Amino acid sequence: MKKSLLLLSLIALLGAGCSSTPMDSASEPGAANYYGADGVAVDAATAEALGLEELRGNTLLSQRSVFFDFNKYDIKGEYLDLIGAHAQYLINHAPARMIIKGNADYRGSHEYNLSLGQKRSVAVKEALNSLGVDDSQIETISYGEEYANQECQADACGQDRRADISYEVE
Amino acid sequence: MTNLIHSLLFGILLALSNSVLALEVIEILGGKASEIPLAIIPFEDTVNTGGQKAHQIISSDLNRTGLFRPLNTQGISNPPSSDININYTKWSAMDAQFIVVGKVEPEILKVGNIRVTWSLIDVYKEKTVLTMRYIAKKSQYRAVAHKVSDHVYENLTGSKGIFHTKIAYVKKVNDKKYSLNISDFDGFNSRPILNTTQPIISPRWSPDGEKIAYVSFEKKKPVIYIQNLKTGKRTLLANFKGNNSAPAWSPDSKKLAIVLTYNSNSQIYTINADGTGIKQLMRSNAINTEPSWAPNGEDIYFSSNRGGSPQIYKVNIVSDEIARVTYEGKYNLSPSISYDGKLLLFLTSDQGKFKVGIQNLISNQVLKISKGPSDESPIFAPNGHLVLFTYKDYGKTTKIGTVSINGLKRLPINVGNFIIQEPTWGPITN
Repeated sequence: MKKSLLLLSLIALLGAGCSSTPMDSASEPGAANYYGADGVAVDAATAEALGLEELRGNTLLSQRSVFFDFNKYDIKGEYLDLIGAHAQYLINHAPARMIIKGNADYRGSHEYNLSLGQKRSVAVKEALNSLGVDDSQIETISYGEEYANQECQADACGQDRRADISYEVE
Repeated sequence: MTNLIHSLLFGILLALSNSVLALEVIEILGGKASEIPLAIIPFEDTVNTGGQKAHQIISSDLNRTGLFRPLNTQGISNPPSSDININYTKWSAMDAQFIVVGKVEPEILKVGNIRVTWSLIDVYKEKTVLTMRYIAKKSQYRAVAHKVSDHVYENLTGSKGIFHTKIAYVKKVNDKKYSLNISDFDGFNSRPILNTTQPIISPRWSPDGEKIAYVSFEKKKPVIYIQNLKTGKRTLLANFKGNNSAPAWSPDSKKLAIVLTYNSNSQIYTINADGTGIKQLMRSNAINTEPSWAPNGEDIYFSSNRGGSPQIYKVNIVSDEIARVTYEGKYNLSPSISYDGKLLLFLTSDQGKFKVGIQNLISNQVLKISKGPSDESPIFAPNGHLVLFTYKDYGKTTKIGTVSINGLKRLPINVGNFIIQEPTWGPITN
């Protein structure tokens, strides 16, 4: 109950011309359906608070992977625009929660690669922090090499050296 | 879920004669001891057990160690089955320094049981070293043969054999089918103790033999479980924010070193086996992972990239003092320590090829004992004389095998045509 009140007040704050918006617009037939992580429909108010349209429509925000060199976790210059866009999005949408999943290629030990993947996700988080994003909006985890291509060779392994950005609501 | 190895064992174990022991104890560390030639004579066998015969199992066991060279005994005429009337000249001519003879027969007093009588004979000294008799269930045929190997090994090296121990490993059937399996050390008698749809890594057998700790991804991120092997029950040891991984038992099986991340990079903690008393070991901005407890209970070896590339370090948990351990090579990982504390086993990158390395912790000499290119997960046998590891040729499936610590013998362990990884080795139990 409290949550929906909060959302309603958010709508009031956000929406232009919202005075004419019916209170129960979210449940009206024809309203767009938004699906969360578990396939559960997210109501339009939440979707708006989280800026889901923007998240899907914006070309930079729809880019979700940051790639790294072998045994490295420093972020290359080419990913700064992508990270900047996500930082701005998180700052604009305080309820949004980001999960960053680090990965590594199969070479080296499973445990060290788990740590390396974590370093990569933390590197992305810290880049976001430096742009003003609060830690409470981000969770970092690692999959290490567990979902990596176990048969790649040379350059092809680069696909596995990455951090993937996702949002809780998606 | 009963664990066979703990409940099995033999009805009667008789040492019929045990003449002066401790022959030439082989110097294993740093020694260039050539392999001792010995002949395991086919046992006189009136029991149909099917599968490998005792002399084949014993030969295969001893061959893995890189310390013995079992001679081909096929087609030998009139093979002896006891130490009576041994033709020493004949075996000496064959270059056999020792021979093992034996007999497998039905046990008259206990239906369904077998009686195995065997002797270890010193050909040079022309005398019997040891004669033993086992009475066991027919189904324990392989276990009896492994026990013979253990006794031969202990008599000729002065160290306990590991041929009667168990290993555990992760089997990956496909991206949605994983299991944690236990088998005899040579891959026979395999059974799953956990089936799951998500990856399992880093199983570690508790030194008391009762439990296995492992990391599972079934909660969509790595968490640590401890599974009791007798009851099959498991408890969640660590499910903190972020990753939970790399469990390593203390020598007394009461504590574990684990790795947690919360919202930052991997750091090492210690925790009681019941999940209480968590304590951070050290703090650093670098990766600290793969803890491995030294047998002295005070030092924890680990891998860290604090100096740039990953190297092996140790931290003393009493004084908090940290020291770097590996200096050779630019990429050293996955430490584990032999049970006497003298040898460090690790994974080393040698011009892009991952190989198993052993460092003598007294002389700091390093020996690479495998050839790569994608070897991983080296772990000592409980006597420190043999190493279990995984290997993979480019584009092929990962398999497990053993390599002797002198690097002479690398042999596969066949547990089926799947991806086999992340092995661990159980303790010696009696």
